Amino acid sequence: MTSSPSDTEQAEQVAHPLQDFADELAGAVGGTVEIAFDSVKVSVPAENWVQAHLTARDDYDLVFFSFLSAIDWARDVAVGDPLADEEVEERIEVISSVADVSEGKRVTFSCDLDHATPTIDSLVEVYAGANWHEREAAEMFGIDFRGHPDLTLLYLPDSFEGNPLRKSFPLLSREVKPWPGKVDVEAMPEKPSTENPGA
Amino acid sequence: MAIDQDTLRHMSEASVSVELETQDMTLNIGPQHPSTHGVLRLVATVDGERVFGVRPVIGYMHRGYEKLSEVRTYPQITALINRIDWVSGYANEVPFIVAAERLMELEVPERAQFIRLILTEMARISSHMVFMASYPLELGAATPLFFALRERERLLDLLEGVTGGRFHPNFNRIGGVKPNAGAGPTQKKTPQDLPAGFFEETREAMERIRHAADQLEDLIAGNEIIRARTKGIGVIPPEVAVAYGLSGPNLRASGVGFDLRKTENYLPYHLFDFDIPTGENGDCYDRWWVRLQEIRQSCRIIEQAIDGVPEGPLQAKVPKVIKVPAGEVYVRAENPKGEMGYYLVSDGGQGPYRLKIRSASFSNISVLPWALENVLVPDIIAIMGSLDFVLGDVDR
Amino acid sequence: MDVIVDLFSNFWVALLGKILLVALMIPLVGMVIGFAEMKLSAKMQNRVGPYFAGGRWGWAQLIADGVKFFQKEDLIPADADRPVFKTAPIWVLVGTVALFVVIPFGPDLIFRDLSVGIFYALAISSISTIGVLMAGWSSANKYSLMGGLRAAGQLIAYELPLVLAVVGSVILAGTMSMTGIVEAQIEAGYPYIVVQFVGFGIFMVAALAELTRIPFDMPIAESELVMGYLTEYSGFRFLFFFLAEFANMFTLSAIAVTLFLGGYWLPGLSETQLAYLGPIILIAKVFVLVFAMIWFRWTFPRFREDQLQTLAWKWLIPLALANILVTATLKVVL
Repeated sequence: MTSSPSDTEQAEQVAHPLQDFADELAGAVGGTVEIAFDSVKVSVPAENWVQAHLTARDDYDLVFFSFLSAIDWARDVAVGDPLADEEVEERIEVISSVADVSEGKRVTFSCDLDHATPTIDSLVEVYAGANWHEREAAEMFGIDFRGHPDLTLLYLPDSFEGNPLRKSFPLLSREVKPWPGKVDVEAMPEKPSTENPGA
Repeated sequence: MAIDQDTLRHMSEASVSVELETQDMTLNIGPQHPSTHGVLRLVATVDGERVFGVRPVIGYMHRGYEKLSEVRTYPQITALINRIDWVSGYANEVPFIVAAERLMELEVPERAQFIRLILTEMARISSHMVFMASYPLELGAATPLFFALRERERLLDLLEGVTGGRFHPNFNRIGGVKPNAGAGPTQKKTPQDLPAGFFEETREAMERIRHAADQLEDLIAGNEIIRARTKGIGVIPPEVAVAYGLSGPNLRASGVGFDLRKTENYLPYHLFDFDIPTGENGDCYDRWWVRLQEIRQSCRIIEQAIDGVPEGPLQAKVPKVIKVPAGEVYVRAENPKGEMGYYLVSDGGQGPYRLKIRSASFSNISVLPWALENVLVPDIIAIMGSLDFVLGDVDR
Repeated sequence: MDVIVDLFSNFWVALLGKILLVALMIPLVGMVIGFAEMKLSAKMQNRVGPYFAGGRWGWAQLIADGVKFFQKEDLIPADADRPVFKTAPIWVLVGTVALFVVIPFGPDLIFRDLSVGIFYALAISSISTIGVLMAGWSSANKYSLMGGLRAAGQLIAYELPLVLAVVGSVILAGTMSMTGIVEAQIEAGYPYIVVQFVGFGIFMVAALAELTRIPFDMPIAESELVMGYLTEYSGFRFLFFFLAEFANMFTLSAIAVTLFLGGYWLPGLSETQLAYLGPIILIAKVFVLVFAMIWFRWTFPRFREDQLQTLAWKWLIPLALANILVTATLKVVL
């Protein structure tokens, strides 16, 4: 049994072969590419969203639909930390992850949408599995997926109002009792702890 | 290509259902039903024994972990995500911890990685053993349940010995694994890790698991009725499987030999020899068979791993208050149920800015409306059970 | 002593005595078989089974269960067809009780030796089917309805092979009287299973289906239909179904023993010995068959409804007809 190379070393080794592939893919779908921590992220404009996935599926063999979700980049925060970085603009970022089922290539597609009324084309025609993921994203973030066959609530009860994963949506249990959570973590004692427990 | 399959299916169905002019009945299966694995609800349109379509209704167990993790610190989240797929709680922790470690660019000691790997494989075996127990029960055979659960109990004992928890170990720490099991507040913290005799007991348990796997194969694979109930039932072709995002054993049963343990580097799987069992037809029988073979492969991995656990620390040097540098990372792992991934977005704080949990069962059962068209009522149970989902993993 | 004999020679007193005896036998048989099932299934599954009730081996478990059932609330769904719902368990039990009438426990130990005994037995057992269908229909529950319909379809399909399987023995014996069939076997010197093994096999498969036990338990099918036609039943009405199932296991096995295994007869025993040992021999043989039924129950999964019908119509019935043909031909030729 030989010793394994560490995680980070490996990540760097694998990241390079992906660069060419990512650039090629980004060129084909009209997006920008960013590689970090072993994963490829391709940002595409909203109008190319479906086309990008079609290309990825048909020309790059990324047939496996992993997930679709969104990130709410918001400054109006009801719960948790507000954005630390002042430069980040408010938006809803839709992310989808597709992969192949032979070599382990995986690409995250990302698309920035308007924060107030996010709208994007549905991927159901490209990946059948996007159906439920889009329903989830729709109810959690209030994104309208154009062309989705059945954009009804997935998890939430029928009468539910609001989009729970938006940063502006309050976490009710926290309103009642603001505990426990990262905001409540007490400051650590002054003594610098050099020893690492148990190491 | 998935669309073509769908259209074909619909066309072939049309010819069947045209002549039937009886009144359809809506049958509500669940949320309280013996074989929906919790609180899944299926609204089925049936005519006698024939099912035309099924609409799954989920969300009865939605606990909002993604929202909760936005207000929790990283160590707190480990306790939450144990409860996603509670049948293999340990395996849920690993990809999340690895995601945080990637962002922090931590180097995890090898010993910790090996322990993670061994425990993950144990979680896999115990999850598959639950399937081996519950699937025959859903087909009407009660006895294999006891054969499978008995051996699973041994694994849970081992897991408990190491982590202190049978279902929800909460054992991983960022930078390694929990360093001192059993040291109380008054004791001096002693650097103990694995309980004494763990390796021998594990080796013994693996023998028994193999024996149990043989027994289960005798009981189930050799049974004509099981074969009649599962062979050719619920066939999911590979192109449909990938389009719906089916992963893990369900994908491999459809003939796609893809295993994240071979391609991702979240744990040092590349050091070990193991095969990826694949099915041929993608039917219920193959899904059962693949899981049985995976139990044997996991035994192989564990046996190799316990021979090679290196000495060394269990924890990398980490600050007392863990802050993860800003960035985005997606780490996916081959969990017992399939691809489990965490898309972690950090803004440099003590907790994630956003944590997307990609759970395997959610995608796995999203194929149900497709797979349950034009089947018989007993096949609903046979197909649903063969996908091996856990409602906590679906709803999160 | 004479007084008692005189008393029982009175028709009405004798009738009352017989009724009481049968009424006692049903729960007794139900409990013994139920306990056997619990203990045997435990053995097959590496468990202990009932342990505490009664002190030793949990022998009183079934009594405790019975008491529990009587204490339970008798729930009737709001939308149920009340009279039908309430009487359904009684019909199921009646079908079973009536079967005891024609089972010969010994040379003279039979409640009523009808000349068309086997014909009566097969006819009267169908009453249970009506009870099951009533239960399924009246519960106002979709699962119950599906269970009831499955039961009806299944019981009708398996009534045929059951009847056809019997015909072989009847041809050989030349009588439909149950005692007559046993006597014919005594006279022949061998139990009819020797020549009627096909008939015996078909009879046992069909009997399992009639009993709606695994592998033919689709009408109940916990994992699909929750509990089928039993879903809405609770308390003593549920107990009735429960008892009827175990008593039915006994009666159908007893009929099989009578027809194919020589009934109360063992080779080498004299007439007087048989008169005393008959019941014990019969019950011993019955329990061998009951054991096999329990064994199947805990070994096999269940068929699908269409597979069950295929088995009945495409395999069992043609096979039974062929068996009749061969038996009749040989009877004439030899």
